[in-house]
Amino acid sequence: MTVVEYFLPRSLAQAVDLLSRHGPDLLVIAGGTVAMPLINDGISLPRQVMGLRFVGLDEIEPSDGGLRIGATTTLTSLLRQRHVPMLAEAARRTASWSIRNMGTVGGNLFTPPPGGDVAVALLALDAEVTLEGSRGRRTLALSEFQTGFMTTALEPQELLTGIGVPAVAGETTYVKFGRKEANTPSVVTVAVRVARDGEVVTDARVALGAVGPHALRARKAEAVLVGSSLEPGAIDEAAEAAAEECEPFDDGIASAWYRRAMVRLFVRRALEELVQHVALEGR
Amino acid sequence: MKVAGHHVLDAGPREVFDAACDPATLLAVIPGCEAIEQVAPHEYQGSLVLRLPGVGATFRTFVRLVDADPPHAAGMEGRVEGPMGTIAGRADFGLTEVDDEPAHDGRPGAGSDGRSIASRTLLEYRGEAVIQGPLARLDSRFAESLANTLIAQGLQALNSHLIEASSTVAPASGRPSPREAPE
Repeated sequence: MTVVEYFLPRSLAQAVDLLSRHGPDLLVIAGGTVAMPLINDGISLPRQVMGLRFVGLDEIEPSDGGLRIGATTTLTSLLRQRHVPMLAEAARRTASWSIRNMGTVGGNLFTPPPGGDVAVALLALDAEVTLEGSRGRRTLALSEFQTGFMTTALEPQELLTGIGVPAVAGETTYVKFGRKEANTPSVVTVAVRVARDGEVVTDARVALGAVGPHALRARKAEAVLVGSSLEPGAIDEAAEAAAEECEPFDDGIASAWYRRAMVRLFVRRALEELVQHVALEGR
Repeated sequence: MKVAGHHVLDAGPREVFDAACDPATLLAVIPGCEAIEQVAPHEYQGSLVLRLPGVGATFRTFVRLVDADPPHAAGMEGRVEGPMGTIAGRADFGLTEVDDEPAHDGRPGAGSDGRSIASRTLLEYRGEAVIQGPLARLDSRFAESLANTLIAQGLQALNSHLIEASSTVAPASGRPSPREAPE
């Protein structure tokens, strides 16, 4: 079986219409970096494909102090924006230039672990996703969008159209640990955001990647940090909590045991880095 | 591909077993299930739509209930066919009443939504399947992780369905929960 129809809609309305007319057998791609290897290897054998390159969802715009990111914005564009440094860093540490030039922010949210690092940074920023289909538009917290390994809350007639990053308080740190420095799948990815009132932490996000069925929040670690002053004891306790609550897996990159140990190490490092950063800024 | 696991459901074994054999319930709780019909006693066929990253496909499904020992255990032989290949295998599950076990919130006699329930069932499953066709070229981690995700989502949906069904039944039909039992 080969692709017999390739649709290139010029607007979101056209894309939604095509999806509702052709149903879930229509394979939707944006950058193609997830789908094309599967098609080239004969694993995915779609008869109909819809490319979202020209539907006009590739803009990044400031919005109410936050950011509005079109779903087909490339990772290179995300890397170049200066509004949210942690997102630029997350994009910079994702894959290679050639992949970043094609791969999209929306597509990255569908990438199974150990890929999909951008979602880790977006989770720490309380990002939301916008889904649109023939039945209308809805907004969902990113933490509710990714529901399991390679599964999402996307309904058969819906498209992911955008990602909203609200104006959130606090300092952020993003750490990715792989087997090499660049263009590497993650052993673990950690994104941290901490808001403080004076010395006391009032709000915390600890997001983890490559140690579960999808990017996930380490909520017990977050609870440990709230009310603390990021003292070494609290950081150690949070790192331990994150290591306990993650759900690591074995693959060719690392064993589950090693991934859990690296969660403990890199959550601690991320928090220590954040403390150092705040101390330097305070001088 | 091998899968195994367990899940605690907020209903008695009889209710769980009956729900697992009811086409309308299966249609409501199996992720991506578009159609299901009973074609013979203990035999069902239907279609499953999965939109996965890089893949959008409809799969034909066939399931036969075997070695049934209601409401304690049963086996399921099944086959899923689609453009990416075929998955064929067998899964066995056992149902054990666990009304004295701590519930989801750690309290005895409380369901996942915190309300009092009459009994609870531990569902234990184990299955093995052979993947043939293009799908077989994927790392087995992908197939197993995806299968475990779909099973977990299906069982969560089944639990919600059971809770909803029990809320429409007169409370007198259930035994008092430990929290409600007179001292």
